[in-house]
Amino acid sequence: MDWAQLWQIATLPDNVPITLLIVVVPFYAWYGLRQSFKNDRLIDQLDADPELAKTHHRKTQPWKEGWDREVFVWPYLLRIEFLVTIIVTFILMVWSITLDAPLEAPANPSLTMNPSKAPWYFLGLQEMLVYFDPWMAGVVLPTLILVGLMVIPYMDANPLGNGYYTFKQRKFAILAFLFGFVVLWLSMVVIGTFIRGPGWIWFWPGQTWDHNKVIFEVNRDLPDMFGITTMMGKSLFGGAVFGLYTLLMVFVVHKLFTMNEFNRKIYERMTLIQYVTLQIFLVSMMLLPAKILARLLFRIKYVWITPWFNI
Amino acid sequence: MAEQLPTEKDPVVSKSLGGILLVSSVLMVLSLLWSVYDEAYTLRPWKSYQKRFVALYSRHLASIKPAQAKEEKKVLQDTGYEELNRAIKKAEESISPQLSEIDRETNSIIGRRLAIITEPFAIVRSEIAALVYLSETASSQKEKDRLNEEIESIKTRKISLTLPSDGSSNKQVMKIEKFNFSELEEEFNHLQKRKGDLGRERAELIRPTSELREKRDTFFKDQLSGLSPSQIEGLQSKMKTFVSEIKQIHIAEVDLVDRCESCHLGIREPLTLTKADMGGEAAFTSHPNRDLLKIHNPERFGCSTCHNGNGRATTGVNKGHGRYKHWLWPLFHRENSEAGCHQCHSKDLVLEHADILNQGKDIFYNQGCRGCHRFEGFDTESEALTQVQSTIHQLEIDRKEMEKNIIRDDEAGDNAESNDEANRLYAQANALRQKITNLDHEVEQLNFQSKHLFQERKKVGPSLKEVKVKIRKEWLPVWLDNPHAYRPGTKMPAFRLSEQQNNAISAFIWQSGVNGKLPKQPSGNSVRGQELLETRGCLGCHAIGEGDLEQGGVFAANLSRVGEKDHYNYLVRWIHNPRKRTRPYCAFEKRDLGPEDYAKHGLPFVFDLENSVCPNDGHELQVQQMTVMPNLRLTLQEARDVASYLMSLKREPGILKEAYPKVDYLDDPQLKEEGRALVQHFGCAGCHEIAGFEEEQRIGTELTKEGSKPIERLDFALLTHDAEHEGWYNHKGFFERKLENPAIFDQGKIKAPMEKLRMPDFKLEPEEITAVTTFLLGSVDSTLPSHFFFEPDTRSQDIRDGWWLVKKYNCMGCHQIQPGQDSILSGMERYQGDGKEKLPPTLVGEGARVSPEWLAGFLKNPAMHPTNNARNGVREYLQIRMPTFYLSDGEIRKIVRFFESLASQNRPYIPTEMEPLSKQEREMARGLFTSKAAPCLRCHATGNPSHDRNATAPNFLLAKERLKPGWTERWMVMPEMMAPGTSMPSGLFRREGDRWVFAGPLPAAFRNYPKDHAELLVRYMFQLTSAEQRRLISRLPAGATKVAGR
Repeated sequence: MDWAQLWQIATLPDNVPITLLIVVVPFYAWYGLRQSFKNDRLIDQLDADPELAKTHHRKTQPWKEGWDREVFVWPYLLRIEFLVTIIVTFILMVWSITLDAPLEAPANPSLTMNPSKAPWYFLGLQEMLVYFDPWMAGVVLPTLILVGLMVIPYMDANPLGNGYYTFKQRKFAILAFLFGFVVLWLSMVVIGTFIRGPGWIWFWPGQTWDHNKVIFEVNRDLPDMFGITTMMGKSLFGGAVFGLYTLLMVFVVHKLFTMNEFNRKIYERMTLIQYVTLQIFLVSMMLLPAKILARLLFRIKYVWITPWFNI
Repeated sequence: MAEQLPTEKDPVVSKSLGGILLVSSVLMVLSLLWSVYDEAYTLRPWKSYQKRFVALYSRHLASIKPAQAKEEKKVLQDTGYEELNRAIKKAEESISPQLSEIDRETNSIIGRRLAIITEPFAIVRSEIAALVYLSETASSQKEKDRLNEEIESIKTRKISLTLPSDGSSNKQVMKIEKFNFSELEEEFNHLQKRKGDLGRERAELIRPTSELREKRDTFFKDQLSGLSPSQIEGLQSKMKTFVSEIKQIHIAEVDLVDRCESCHLGIREPLTLTKADMGGEAAFTSHPNRDLLKIHNPERFGCSTCHNGNGRATTGVNKGHGRYKHWLWPLFHRENSEAGCHQCHSKDLVLEHADILNQGKDIFYNQGCRGCHRFEGFDTESEALTQVQSTIHQLEIDRKEMEKNIIRDDEAGDNAESNDEANRLYAQANALRQKITNLDHEVEQLNFQSKHLFQERKKVGPSLKEVKVKIRKEWLPVWLDNPHAYRPGTKMPAFRLSEQQNNAISAFIWQSGVNGKLPKQPSGNSVRGQELLETRGCLGCHAIGEGDLEQGGVFAANLSRVGEKDHYNYLVRWIHNPRKRTRPYCAFEKRDLGPEDYAKHGLPFVFDLENSVCPNDGHELQVQQMTVMPNLRLTLQEARDVASYLMSLKREPGILKEAYPKVDYLDDPQLKEEGRALVQHFGCAGCHEIAGFEEEQRIGTELTKEGSKPIERLDFALLTHDAEHEGWYNHKGFFERKLENPAIFDQGKIKAPMEKLRMPDFKLEPEEITAVTTFLLGSVDSTLPSHFFFEPDTRSQDIRDGWWLVKKYNCMGCHQIQPGQDSILSGMERYQGDGKEKLPPTLVGEGARVSPEWLAGFLKNPAMHPTNNARNGVREYLQIRMPTFYLSDGEIRKIVRFFESLASQNRPYIPTEMEPLSKQEREMARGLFTSKAAPCLRCHATGNPSHDRNATAPNFLLAKERLKPGWTERWMVMPEMMAPGTSMPSGLFRREGDRWVFAGPLPAAFRNYPKDHAELLVRYMFQLTSAEQRRLISRLPAGATKVAGR
């Protein structure tokens, strides 16, 4: 184990946000879920007693005798926000004093640094380039991500779970988001930071980043594995495989979405357009893990090859 | 209702956040304070440096003040100083009445009147000026008239002023005076003029006093070593009012900001500050070489231009020194600090104040680094030659093309349909014919150039074409295997060869050698040979003896074991004329020519500088060996003697042929082919002339800009991580380790034999490694604009060019060229004490001494004799001999100019006409020449062999052609100053007024002679003829020409 180097990577001013992220994101995920489960228990309690629900309803904590039904933003919310402001100011202050901006050598057009890494918030995108061709990873998928985030409110047919933490009433949404954001996006950022060394080669944490390292890795296209050589053949074969994937994924998503009674009700409330949109984005999102697995386990480069794009 | 009150309060409403608010507020305030502290101190470490500097410097100044005060007192009490002081006082006293009269008038009358008049005058004048402007710009004539009237009325207005009268009495009388404007103006101008006159008068009056004062101050400054107490006080008060701030040098044109002096405050202080002076703080010392700062004023050059580092950074030592990962120009380490000189002075081989850098360049040039690595400016001759040859080649192709076109045009003309067409074609052909003649002129010039370049081009190692005639076969693989074991300190580096590789290379070298028969030489007298070797000057370049016994120069090979390897017959030829080749090389045909090539054309097999043209194709040949070894013009018998002596030099006297293993494989043709690839692979032809590899390119990387190569391009291989952890992942670390062990970056690598690093081991000493590293670190692509670079004037350019040749031919092995530099010979036992006379002459001031035409002739043929070569041209009495270097005309010109420029001589040199001697003057000079007090002819050679055997100075007959009269006179008057230790006596003349007078008893004729005696002798000397000299000798008393005591 090359502890010295691991420490060096973890404490590089560039990487500190990601090191923090490894700790902070799970913590807040847990913290939010804890509150959600608490609320879910309250929801159960009120569900069981409709009378109580009529009178003793308050969103975050079970109402008790003598409590106000509602509290004012000022001072009760704002004082907490003020407190948070102070704490965040303190953290930023200490951070800016202790860590300097990570300036490097002047750019030299005849010499590319190695590894050449994007800023931390783009590392996920850069890592995607390993799995997709630049047109997909650099243009299509980021666009889908942005548009997908924008259309979320329009696909949402669930009337519950607004303004308070809940898991039970938003199971599918929360899990889908956790999978997309934490499992896919953030883990790619972490991989890009800690795992990818010189030559964008995979180094396990603690392995020395050696510029001389040479690896033997041959990536193949899926049609090649089946001995298909013509462009036409590749396009058709790939299209077929991609179609198969789409059908399979639509089915899986549908099964997951309609797994329980609550979701089935929501499914019924959705229009066709809403549901199709949902399927499109989820199927596209699942392309990423599918492609990662295909690439890392089977060394498959592209599945569907056409003269215009490769997937 | 009370019992219904909830037991639990609503946390949103009731929970007090006071505690946590307090804690976080305190933390925030603390962080704010921290940020202020960080900003003020942590990020500004120079503040504490400045505080410490002020304290330490003030302490130091206080500590040296008493000593300096004492020193000052000593000077003040010096009689010279007191005398000057008295003179000042006397002068002051003598002018004081006049002075006080002038001052009185200036101050009490002129001054006071002016003070009163000035203001009213100025008011009226400006009033008028304003009206004049209005009048000038008035739109109507009427208005103009009105204004002019007004102006007139103002001018005639009377003004009354109370003024002191200019009576000469002491009492001032105030009087009312009336003026109109013009009177006022006149009075004002009068007063001004008077004031000016008085001022000038005063200055004139005190001028002698001021001059004396200046003289006294200069005297004071000259006498006082170090600072005077008042200067120290000045520095102390500077420290008292010291303002803590960033001290920065900003040079806008190069966008340079250097804040180094924010901490290094002592750098430019006017006294030498050592680490000990400054309480052990190295940062506060003064610049170690203040002369350098005079040449490179920091206000114009900054600091980081030379030293590197991050001049802008102020946040820490490492930041400022640029010693962190991403700064591309880290501060040079102390031992490499001269690297900074090279970026602007890259074309200089020898640079003042940069001994380490010079040594690095020397090694790069002499050890043969340039054989594999191109470096701009090194080895220009062979580059130029390649260029010239390819141009010749191209022109010849063009010529053939033209010839073809002429024939075509002529034929086309013959068959043309119209006369006009035919004429046009014939004209075209004629134009081409003319072009061809032009081309021929050009080729002729280029051939001429290439002849010189062939002469100038040298290789670091010996020619390997001569192996068969030169060395013993068995020795070759032994040498190649480990040259340092055979001859410690050799230039030949050790290659890491396997036995098979070693044998293959040896086989190739052996078989590619040219065949030739050398005449069999009878053996010589080795005792006489040793004497010759030690006295003729061989040891200026070569050394004899191993280990502690080694004596002589290291420029060329150590000769201690020559007897074990060389053939006697070859050695004789080599010593007799080292430039002689067995066969000439034709670069056009790319082969060595043999007698058969000459025979084909009915020519004798003779090739030398006069017969340097290829009999087959008319191109210039390489007719000399590419060695810098000169011809010492020994007779054949002397060469045999020296060779016999050298053949007796063996490490163990008994070592003979049998000591080396049998080497039959050297004749294996298959091994030869294997060897050819290896010779190419290892770049042997970089230093040696090898058959078949004459046009071989260098195998190494170019190093001209190596110092600014991105670190990523330096292959640390598997040592990258060690280097990073141990802190040598930088250029310095790479160069030093690579030079120390050229194979180091192969460590741990699995490589095929031919893929391994090829650089051989030169076995450099640590200081040599430092020197080469310095040189390489400085070899950068400069970011400075070109006008920052050193642009030599003609004189400096001549000196720069000359050094390359002086180093190339190792002139400094025998001669002293710069004051303070010692030649190799001068350090040898033989030349100590009385032996000094036997040393070659010092060349300090050579350019002032001799005429350039003479020097050029001398360099071309140092024997200066049409037939007898085996002699010195000037100093026939010296055993040591100025050899013939076969310099090309261009080289001779450069060397002559070098000496001229070194002695600041003007070019061209026009000899001064000598005033002819009158009869009386000639008689006087003869008298002086033959007088007992100045026995000139006792030491100076006369051309008489029995006398010249003991002579220790040149013949006077040479003077006219050779010397410059001005120098000759200075030399006669003060030889000891120009060449310390010379046997020419000093004090022959003494100064009398503005002329030199002979110091000994004067011959009677000299009484009443008003002119300079030294000059008379010079004139006589420059008009001396051999007849006159004979006459002189005949006038000498018998035996006077014999050197006393010899």
